[in-house]
Amino acid sequence: MTVKVQLFVTCLGENFFSNVLKDMVTVLERLGAQCELPEGQTCCGQPFYNSGFQSQTIEPARNWLRVFGRTEGYIVAPSGSCADFARRRYPELFPPGTREHALAVDTATRTFEFSEFLTRVLKVTDVGARFPHRVTYHASCHILRELGLRDEPKQLLQHVEGLELIPLPEEEICCGFGGIFSVVYPEVSHDMMQAKVRNIESIGAQVVVVGEPGCLMNIAGGLAKVGSPVRAMHLIQVLAAGGAR
Amino acid sequence: MSEAPTRIDFRSNVQHVQPQMPAAVQKATMKFLGTRASVVGILGDDHWQALRQAGHDLRLHAINHLDYYLAQLEEQVTKAGGHVHWARDAEEAKRIVLDIAQSHNVKRAVKVKSMATEEIGLNHALIDAGIQTLETDLGEFIVQLAGVGPSHIIVPAVHLTKEGIADLFREKLGIDAPTDPVQLAAIARAKLRQEFLAADMGLSGANFIVAETGTLAIVTNEGNGRMCTTLPPLHVAVVGIDKVVPDWESLNVLLKLLPRSATGQKLSAYTSFITGTRRTNDENGPTEFHLVLLDNGRTRILQDEVTRETLLCIRCGVCLNVCPVYNNVGGHAYGWAYSGPIGAILSPQLLGVEAAGDLPFASSLCGACAEYCPVKIPIPEILIRLRRRVVEGDRVEDPSASPVLRVAAEVGGRTLGLPWLYEFGSQLLKWVQAPWRSGGWLPNLPPPLDRWTMTRPLPAFGADFREWWRNRTPEGRRRNLERKIGLGVLAGGLIALAAWLLTSGKAQRLTRKRSR
Amino acid sequence: MSLNPAREEILGKVRMALMRRIDAPVPPIPASARVAPRVAGDVNSEIEMLLSEIGKLSGNTRRVAHKQDLKAALQDLVKTEGIKKATVWKTPDLQELGVADVLRSLRVDMVSPHADKYRLAECDLGVTGVDAALPETGTLILRSSPERPRMVSLLPRVHLAIMRLSALRADLHQVFADVKDDGYSIFITGPSRTSDIELTLTIGVHGPKSLHVWVMD
Repeated sequence: MTVKVQLFVTCLGENFFSNVLKDMVTVLERLGAQCELPEGQTCCGQPFYNSGFQSQTIEPARNWLRVFGRTEGYIVAPSGSCADFARRRYPELFPPGTREHALAVDTATRTFEFSEFLTRVLKVTDVGARFPHRVTYHASCHILRELGLRDEPKQLLQHVEGLELIPLPEEEICCGFGGIFSVVYPEVSHDMMQAKVRNIESIGAQVVVVGEPGCLMNIAGGLAKVGSPVRAMHLIQVLAAGGAR
Repeated sequence: MSEAPTRIDFRSNVQHVQPQMPAAVQKATMKFLGTRASVVGILGDDHWQALRQAGHDLRLHAINHLDYYLAQLEEQVTKAGGHVHWARDAEEAKRIVLDIAQSHNVKRAVKVKSMATEEIGLNHALIDAGIQTLETDLGEFIVQLAGVGPSHIIVPAVHLTKEGIADLFREKLGIDAPTDPVQLAAIARAKLRQEFLAADMGLSGANFIVAETGTLAIVTNEGNGRMCTTLPPLHVAVVGIDKVVPDWESLNVLLKLLPRSATGQKLSAYTSFITGTRRTNDENGPTEFHLVLLDNGRTRILQDEVTRETLLCIRCGVCLNVCPVYNNVGGHAYGWAYSGPIGAILSPQLLGVEAAGDLPFASSLCGACAEYCPVKIPIPEILIRLRRRVVEGDRVEDPSASPVLRVAAEVGGRTLGLPWLYEFGSQLLKWVQAPWRSGGWLPNLPPPLDRWTMTRPLPAFGADFREWWRNRTPEGRRRNLERKIGLGVLAGGLIALAAWLLTSGKAQRLTRKRSR
Repeated sequence: MSLNPAREEILGKVRMALMRRIDAPVPPIPASARVAPRVAGDVNSEIEMLLSEIGKLSGNTRRVAHKQDLKAALQDLVKTEGIKKATVWKTPDLQELGVADVLRSLRVDMVSPHADKYRLAECDLGVTGVDAALPETGTLILRSSPERPRMVSLLPRVHLAIMRLSALRADLHQVFADVKDDGYSIFITGPSRTSDIELTLTIGVHGPKSLHVWVMD
């Protein structure tokens, strides 16, 4: 039976990381999944909620549930924070007994972050990728702590042919994105980002892999700012590399 | 030090952080995290997690039945010969302590480090009334001499160098001090010894107060805690009502969590258990004991079930050690006695969001604090709750943020509820960004987006996934065409409207009206 | 009894926030709030653990096989630590060991443990017993009573704690059962210390500068 995957593209993914989304389709189809793109998705509303605007989260949440609630199969996002947000918060935002609440409870059982979906649902760690480069991994806070994915993303990287995984010093320390934090306190965010960039540049890696679009935006920008030759890529892009073996 | 501030401007504080602060603070935090790792490692992760859960559950049980345990505590302390006072706020607490001191003709007081007394600014009140009040923890003694607040809960003077401290001793104590930490400590030992022996009153807080027997548990390393609570005839303790634990068995868990988390010690050098006054005149110890129970906003924190868990805190400081924000700015940036993640949730609740509304946002929500907290306080959850209080208000307090933000959020929220508007916006941004684009980046954007680009470029807007997806099927290609036509019509309509406004002079008339 | 307005206001606010009526019952402390106490190993490994932990904290340890060996040990201590004045708890155990007499014979000035704080502060050495000891953390528990003045282990520069094997306890759990109804007890884990100045460790701040723990077999 084919696994059906509803693509939850996320607002950052859609607007800034189109290639990551295309690669997500590539990897999922290579693994035999049937992808669908539900029309009408916008943003899950997390930026509002985390900034304290709980009331203004309702409309985006309602829209998301309208779009994904009527789908079948798994809902997969290239982002841990977005997947976790929909899973955890939507049932809290709508009172039990409402239609939205029922949809929220249902979708929560089948919404996943990408590496979580691969390792914990499909139980796959080798996706047939080839990427012969020196690579290091930054552990995004949400993926690490909220989703408890400490080893899984690295397992996926370790099975990529030719890939040399170099440990990143202070791998688990926040890169400084934090959503609105990055613009409310740019000085502190900047210092945290700089520390992360310094760590990345200190180990001779060619690529730094990130699982979260927000972190990717931040770290890629930080590396570009200092003219670093190190490339920042989403985990999915590495997993899509090299084609079928 | 640490009088209640009327408004904490976190960003401004950050911009004024002393250059040596981050490095000094990180030296301390790294060291404590290292020693913590080894003593926690000895216990094994399973045992440690069980202890954390136990610590959480027993502290929550105490907080959820606080009225009962406070009443029991009062009864027990009184039975043991102590006096219990209740202070609704900082002013009342200070008045009570001052009354006790003055009625006993106290001239010299020695003090053990206590966050509660920092919070209410007790030292100033006593000193202003002519009572010499000396901090006796070495770090607190030093920052008191320097006239500043502590920069870290456990090592308050970590931001000062040994040279700076030697200068301080020279200037304030008139002693020719060498720049050697061991000798500086010896100078402090000799000076404070005289004070301990001569003091009329010992002041302390408590790490825990045990309801079962009315006992104070005080965790220290230097011996000043013992000095202050054994030598003077009068002992006054100021303790927040949230420090109460039900029984001694609770300490079995908490004393395994606190020292390991705070300093990486299995137990601190001296843990004192004090119940009331000395039992007989043949023993050492004070003949009179007063316990001042402090509210100062804690009862308001109880009102919200989620934020209530703030009161579980055992003041170990590990959240500071592991917080990337704290490690980059140090303690003073948080503007009050409490800093780091605990400061970010406690200060806004004790001071109100009007004064401390900046602090819940002083976090990237990375969650490291919650991972390390020995009593499992859900700090990021509480931060988000408090952010909501700042911008929307809740049952406990009215919002303090500008209503303009709410309007902006409303517009944003509604846009995200309208898929066609969102899609249109995504496509529009791709066109509109052209003047600022440089390769795949937008390095310099106008305000308010410059808050991002001032530190790093923004990636260029490039929403083309939906189009790519639709192009994979004939039906999709047709829809793409329909959409393009639709968007074209919409864009064309907007351009026509703008052109009409400009040429018809309506826009000129509008601008003329405004400038009059 | 007149009502204290501050007390009533605070407790009233607490009750309202928690939605609890006056005298509402309290459920028992949840089982998840308890952790099983540590189980002790055999006496020898416990003692070794205790002495090892104390040693790691810069405490000095010694096993004294017989009462007769005590004199040599005290002689050693007086010499290395330069003891001129000392004070000793007048507990039955220490009196039976004759510690004060031995010190006197070594020409140490003996001060009564019940002397005032100024006199005790002049002492170089304070000798106490040990009411309980925790090997896991290297902790000594000293209770307070008329024959156990607190200042003896606090004011002198050197603290000598003489313990018996029977003082060993497995866990805080057992110790608390002993001391919870006391007016005062102190748990001592190594000599006093600080790293407040540039994180440099200094032993001996306000409490005794050195700690000696002797185990009488």
